[in-house]
Amino acid sequence: MENLEDLKLMAEQWTNQGLEYLQKIPPFQLYAAIGLLLLTTVLLLSFRLVRRTKSNTVLLSGLSGSGKTVLFYQLRDGSSHQGSVTSMEPNEGTFVFHFEHAKKGKIKPVHLVDVPGHSRLRPKLEEFLPQAAAIVFVVDALEFLPNCRAASEYLYDILTNANVVKKKIPVLLCCNKTDKLTAHTKEFIKKQMEKEIEKLRASRSAVSTADIANDYTIGIEGEVFSFSHCCNRVTVAEASGLIGETVQVQDFIREYIKP
Amino acid sequence: MLEQLLIFTRGGLILWTCKELGKALKGSPIDTLIRSCLLEERSGEVSFNYEAYTLKWTFHNDLGLVFVAVYQRILHLLYVDDLLSMVKESFSEIYDPKRMSYDDFDETFRQLRMEAEARGEELRKVKQVGKVVSSVKKQGQVSKSGLDGGNKSGGGGSKKDVGDGDKDKDKVGSFMTNGNHKMEDDDSDKTNGKENTADNVVLDPSKLMKLRSKGVRGRGGVRKTDSIGNKSSKVAAAEPPKKATKKNRVWDDAAPKQVKLDFTDSVGENGNGNHDHVDIAAADQGESMMDKEEVFSSDDESEDDDDEARSDEKKPEAKKKGWFSSVFQSITGKANLERTDLEPALKALKERLMTKNVAEEIAEKLCESVEASLEGKKLASFTRISSTVQGAMEDALIRILTPRRSIDIMRDVHAAKEQRRPYVVVFVGVNGVGKSTNLAKVAYWLQQHKVSVMMAACDTFRSGAVEQLRTHARRLQIPIFEKGYEKDPAVVAKEAIQEATRNGSDVVLVDTAGRMQDNEPLMRALSKLINLNKPDLVLFVGEALVGNDAVDQLSKFNQKLSDLSNSGTTRLIDGILLTKFDTIDDKVGAALSMVYISGAPVMFVGCGQSYTDLKKLNVKAIVKTLLK
Repeated sequence: MENLEDLKLMAEQWTNQGLEYLQKIPPFQLYAAIGLLLLTTVLLLSFRLVRRTKSNTVLLSGLSGSGKTVLFYQLRDGSSHQGSVTSMEPNEGTFVFHFEHAKKGKIKPVHLVDVPGHSRLRPKLEEFLPQAAAIVFVVDALEFLPNCRAASEYLYDILTNANVVKKKIPVLLCCNKTDKLTAHTKEFIKKQMEKEIEKLRASRSAVSTADIANDYTIGIEGEVFSFSHCCNRVTVAEASGLIGETVQVQDFIREYIKP
Repeated sequence: MLEQLLIFTRGGLILWTCKELGKALKGSPIDTLIRSCLLEERSGEVSFNYEAYTLKWTFHNDLGLVFVAVYQRILHLLYVDDLLSMVKESFSEIYDPKRMSYDDFDETFRQLRMEAEARGEELRKVKQVGKVVSSVKKQGQVSKSGLDGGNKSGGGGSKKDVGDGDKDKDKVGSFMTNGNHKMEDDDSDKTNGKENTADNVVLDPSKLMKLRSKGVRGRGGVRKTDSIGNKSSKVAAAEPPKKATKKNRVWDDAAPKQVKLDFTDSVGENGNGNHDHVDIAAADQGESMMDKEEVFSSDDESEDDDDEARSDEKKPEAKKKGWFSSVFQSITGKANLERTDLEPALKALKERLMTKNVAEEIAEKLCESVEASLEGKKLASFTRISSTVQGAMEDALIRILTPRRSIDIMRDVHAAKEQRRPYVVVFVGVNGVGKSTNLAKVAYWLQQHKVSVMMAACDTFRSGAVEQLRTHARRLQIPIFEKGYEKDPAVVAKEAIQEATRNGSDVVLVDTAGRMQDNEPLMRALSKLINLNKPDLVLFVGEALVGNDAVDQLSKFNQKLSDLSNSGTTRLIDGILLTKFDTIDDKVGAALSMVYISGAPVMFVGCGQSYTDLKKLNVKAIVKTLLK
């Protein structure tokens, strides 16, 4: 108890001394100091707010075996090295595209995330969706028809995800492996996907209140689904990870993440 | 010979493959390994078989690398494990996340491979001697009691000389040729139990070793039956069980255990019958055993001493890492996780899982898999080992319970509708799990989504089953196809499907009789039903109250379905319907056991006894309950 009282006395003495000191300073300097402090805090807050809306994350998603990892390394290093196997973990990297190294000047790097496509690792995609600025959905144009249903379900899940709908994240439907002769064209793939998503819309909308698998429904009621009905932009492009034909993908990404 | 050795990152990029063994692999063994083993939380297993290849792997969890070796299945290469660990060590020294090509590693790898092959050769030779030694010693002990001089066969004579001398490979060689001669005599005896226990001693027996051990062991078994009384059998019984516990895990679970039991039985039986065979063989082998006894027994003792010394060395090392260092490490987080660190946390987790009604072997396998994925990883700072282990286990559980394929039944129904055929679902399971009740619930749910359903009463065995379904059908106002009792269920189902095609029903729900997984004729009838009708979905109905039996039920069902299927495509269990979920409060482990052992997703969960009590499995909630 005595200690506490001693401490209190000392604290009072110090505050008195501080106040006296403050009163000695000319008022102008005091106001200037306080003003500067406020200004810097306001500036910092505003910078953080502004920066948050401009995320530079791009997600590479798609079914297992569609070529995401190869595409990732093509964009980063310009070659797919010695090949790839089924990914068990995401590949992340913040870099400038390999083909842009030649350009002069400071180019903003892109944070590219290659999310594994295996269905058991699907929850990983949900971790990255909140920070995504754009999504590239890679589809295997060679083995398209056997996987059409699974691919369309995955795309449907992405398009109806709450984050994607609210932030209107643009999606690129990238048809990979177009260097092969028997690969389908992007128009064919686009039409097939629209048809499949239409069927999904019919079956998924008829769910009981207990199990809402999807957060939102897409498309316009009564009309056949088309990608133009989505509130976020969905475009189609072709690419080939093996030979390094990734121009369209790069253009898409640069459209949303200005260099 | 090694077919291929790959090093790749967990993110999927191949860092290095051996260019010397440049053979292209048939099929895609690596992808299959990843999809059906590593992502299925079976990374604790020893090896993985894919068509003609066997694959072995190891992880470097800290750097996120996977090392896989592929070799022909018919070869039993002893040096693969060794080679993998050596490659792991040397590669992690030169690994750099920025580097993508490691051509300089070729040279290192070649040397490592030669070293490992040489070591493997040595090991094999040592084991040849060792096995003969241990078997001879056993036989020697047993034969102490009363063996006659016996015949002086050519081999016997040489044995006398051999017994006096030091142990030598030539001795072993001649001894073993003697053994080979004796093989024919022993084949008639029921001494298969012994040869299998011989296999138990050596971890990776080659074929030659197996043949030799057959001869050696056979003699031992024969002599045991010859000798007087229980002492011999006791000694014999004591030794193989001791050696059998060192056996590595075998996934065809039933066989070795039965073998162990057979071993004791055959001793008793042979004592009574086959006397002449026994006598002749014993007489021949008698003196050689007597002679060998002294020499090899001393060696065996020294071997045991070595083992003890080694284990003693390890113990003090483990104790050095005391309490203070572990606390310090948990704060700084620099330690690499070792098996000894992980064991207590994993044991506690395993106990917790078992209290939540997860089958014991599933909990064991899961813990091994988590251990494999955490070993060697660096602890993040300010995290305890137990929280890291918990996090890894949670990830693993979510991965297992997340379905491997989409379980959108409505979509499948629509797809079948387009093809103008009904979507057939067959409900199978053991007695009393709730097939008929949940069939009615599923029918109700489908009806709510404007799908026309038809029931097929293929439970023609249980009294009142058809009436039960008839009542449900009347209440739900859906058509039912029934043929009464004592009819062949497969034929009833076939006719039901034809009827459904005719009157345009979208879905046919087939109810079958409950059957125990061991009941051969009933399982045969079930596979006949499935083969004949080719349903779209085989739904296994299991109750959440089941404990360890879930593993047995599902594995036997799958096994019988695949064994007894005649056509090319084997249909296994496609989905699981978990019933009586409302009766268990938080002992939700049965879901995990069933999904792990069969790989089939849980499509529905029955949580009550009225029509509306059907829901989907909430993966996150189950994982949280399991780890609470």
